[in-house]
Amino acid sequence: MALLNLKDVSVAYGDNVVLKDFNLNIKKGDLVSLLGPSGCGKTTTLRLIGGFIQANKGKFIFNDKDYTKVPVHKREFGFVFQSYALFPHLSVFDNVAFGLKLRKTPKGEIKKRVMEMLDIVGLADYSKRYPKELSGGQRQRVALARALVIKPDLLLLDEPLSNLDAKLRVKMRVGIRKIQKELNITTVYVTHDQEECFSISDKVAVMNEGVIEHLDTPQNIYDNPKTEFVANFVGFENFIDLSLQSKNEDISTYNSKNGRVFKVKSTNINSNKETIKGAIRPEEIKIVNKGGDNKDENTLDGIVGISTFLGKEYQYMVDTEVGKLLVNGNTNKRYKEGEKVKLYLPKEKMVLV
Amino acid sequence: MNTKSRFLTIFSVLVYTFLIFPLVIITAAAFGANDYLKFPPEGFSFKWVANIFEVEMFIRTFKISIEIAVFGTFLALLIGIPAAYILSRYQFKGRNFLQGLFLSPVLIPAIVFGFSLLKFLIIKMQFPVYTSLLIGHTVVILPYIIRVISSSLESFDYSIEEAAVSLGAGRIKTFFIIVLPNITSGVIAAFILAFINSFNNVPISIFLTGPGVSTLPIQMMSYVEYYFDPTIAALSVILMLMTAILMFIIERTLGLSFFTK
Amino acid sequence: MKNKANYLLLLPGLILLGLFLFVPLFSTIFQTIRGKEGLTLVKYFDFFKDSYYISIYLRTLKLALITTLIAVMLGFPTAYYISRTNKKVRGLYIMLAVFPLLTSSVVRSFSWMVILGRNGIVNTILLNLNIINEPLKLLYNEFAIVVGLVYLFLPLMIMSLVGVMENIDNDLMEAAESLGASRLKAFIKVIFPLSVPGLIVGSVLVFTGSLTAYTTPQLLGGSNAKVLSTLVYQNAMSLFDWDTASVLATIMILTTLIVTTIINKLSGKLSGKR
Repeated sequence: MALLNLKDVSVAYGDNVVLKDFNLNIKKGDLVSLLGPSGCGKTTTLRLIGGFIQANKGKFIFNDKDYTKVPVHKREFGFVFQSYALFPHLSVFDNVAFGLKLRKTPKGEIKKRVMEMLDIVGLADYSKRYPKELSGGQRQRVALARALVIKPDLLLLDEPLSNLDAKLRVKMRVGIRKIQKELNITTVYVTHDQEECFSISDKVAVMNEGVIEHLDTPQNIYDNPKTEFVANFVGFENFIDLSLQSKNEDISTYNSKNGRVFKVKSTNINSNKETIKGAIRPEEIKIVNKGGDNKDENTLDGIVGISTFLGKEYQYMVDTEVGKLLVNGNTNKRYKEGEKVKLYLPKEKMVLV
Repeated sequence: MNTKSRFLTIFSVLVYTFLIFPLVIITAAAFGANDYLKFPPEGFSFKWVANIFEVEMFIRTFKISIEIAVFGTFLALLIGIPAAYILSRYQFKGRNFLQGLFLSPVLIPAIVFGFSLLKFLIIKMQFPVYTSLLIGHTVVILPYIIRVISSSLESFDYSIEEAAVSLGAGRIKTFFIIVLPNITSGVIAAFILAFINSFNNVPISIFLTGPGVSTLPIQMMSYVEYYFDPTIAALSVILMLMTAILMFIIERTLGLSFFTK
Repeated sequence: MKNKANYLLLLPGLILLGLFLFVPLFSTIFQTIRGKEGLTLVKYFDFFKDSYYISIYLRTLKLALITTLIAVMLGFPTAYYISRTNKKVRGLYIMLAVFPLLTSSVVRSFSWMVILGRNGIVNTILLNLNIINEPLKLLYNEFAIVVGLVYLFLPLMIMSLVGVMENIDNDLMEAAESLGASRLKAFIKVIFPLSVPGLIVGSVLVFTGSLTAYTTPQLLGGSNAKVLSTLVYQNAMSLFDWDTASVLATIMILTTLIVTTIINKLSGKLSGKR
């Protein structure tokens, strides 16, 4: 049974429809990320759950109760803002104690719980400081402590790490995940950073234009994206038009426009359309020597174009019979512009969308 | 430094001499010993400063000026802060029009407004002079309040308001414990600016005087018409001291760069 | 706005302005067009037939224009100088300009009575140097009014200009010079066009301010050099001719409105070019 349940929710500002018949279920204790490009509706979804905006239609059920019309300050959710939104006129201690004071918690207990929470986020020595005397990462942790200390029924995080530098981001996301697991608190996490999102989530919802395109575990989304948008978003850069020849339980056969045969694992087929797109990551395509292994299945002939150095690998733009493809090759050898190559696209690495 | 910027420096210094010199003159004149205004003054004396306190009308109108400025400013703050908050916080239809409307009292020639108040409030509605004076001042200083409060809300991060609500504070409570404490410097600066403008006002007050009710600037103007002794110079020095103190507070709260906006 | 109750917070202000600003103002304006039988403009015809009133009206416009021009000439170079100084010095200059601005206009006008009076500093110096034999009459004329008004409004002009000029990047001048412009040319081609918005705001403030100022013309012009505002007061409080006072008041509002609109339109065109 889901703890949080958005049912056919729609949000629109005038003619601008942000969410349309949106549905989302979240299990208790899970950390679910909303991932997508800016403008996809992920922040709107989070603010809707938080109660800062009202849906034009649809219902929000939380813990079997109808929360659709419950005002923000009665929801008991913790919200961490992108800008942290620390109260500049209050010390770290008073920032964290804010929610408890409103709940008329006894003074002694406030002190105990605030200090405990500051201890968890590693800021016990900073309780007397003011927000402007803290670094970005410290502010972020105060914001987290402030949201967690009220023991919220749900934790909402809106791009909490986007204002930090790359190294700190990695450190902080591990911290957030650890605290979330320890306290076993159901969490909704909004981000546009794929790596960040995959590393800490139980489930990821990839959003595009107001709908969830794919909701699954990070591993499944990474390996087997359900739609072309999701495939593109998680790094499948090459798309080849294919049409179905025969379908079997284990392996199915497709033809490309120029008549090449492609065999694909049937579990990787995500659409029943006759013409379909075969997607593959640049790093999964293998460059095989011409004249070598002469199986024609799952291969394409091409001419090497521009190449760039990525550090671990070279990346080539290869002009093939079915269009330009991005292909990564190891650094043992750098192919020259104009060189003829054969490309091999392994059947277990291709996804059909 | 080349010749051009030297010219510019000398020019600017001369312009500033023009701005400051008269205030120096008036200060020197205040401590002269002669019986009429003369420059340079002969001798040094505090008798004109002492004389201010001999003129009962100055004392009385000074009190009235302070009262009107303080009450008027409080009223204008009470009305202006919520209005400025709504106008800065929310985007809505007619917002620009309303903003213009709230700032309009400064665009209308004050002398016309004063005259209109005399006709409407005192003659037609039979309001007491004192009440009319208070109303006139409240209206005319409202734009200062709106402008200063709006400008201090400009840089306000409204997500801290949402943070307070998400932690369980109601909307009204949030305003008082989160928004207000973070714009205190704006409120203080608005108070002082409005106070100064009310205290110095002439063109409205001059129509709204009556038996026993007048303001200090009006009293000073009529004094100058009949007497040409240094009492007014001495009084001016005291007023300049007051201005300097208030300006110092503005500098500490809002920063004087506000005036170049 | 999601919460209609929010509008309630605007209500006290709207009531205050409606009841005590707009109603009195419109009743004044209305009085000028109300005749014995319906609406009429006859009071305005009477006004424009009277050469005395016309001369005062033109004098008011003339003095406001002269004041604005002088304020621009004194204010522009000064503001440019201030905007190029470092932050600390600039703060001092701004403080010295704000101080007169916050000082009572009675005090400021009075100081010029001390300077320009019969026994004032100017006459004393000229007499001592034997340039003149008897004191000049420097007070209670148009000259005194202009000096007083320039003194009153120059800080406003400087503030408006500094506000715009301090945001002009120093590199722009250097870029222009590196491209072959002389200093003067660079100033005219780069700094001046970028300062126009400040110049316009300053000019509107100074011109309308001078047009409607009361204290300074009253103290420094006296009854010899009347302007529109002192005429309004005289008609209202000494002659009790409220019809004429209302006509004068309405003309004053209209003039301010027209001038502000024209300058804003012009500035719209100027900035539209860029």
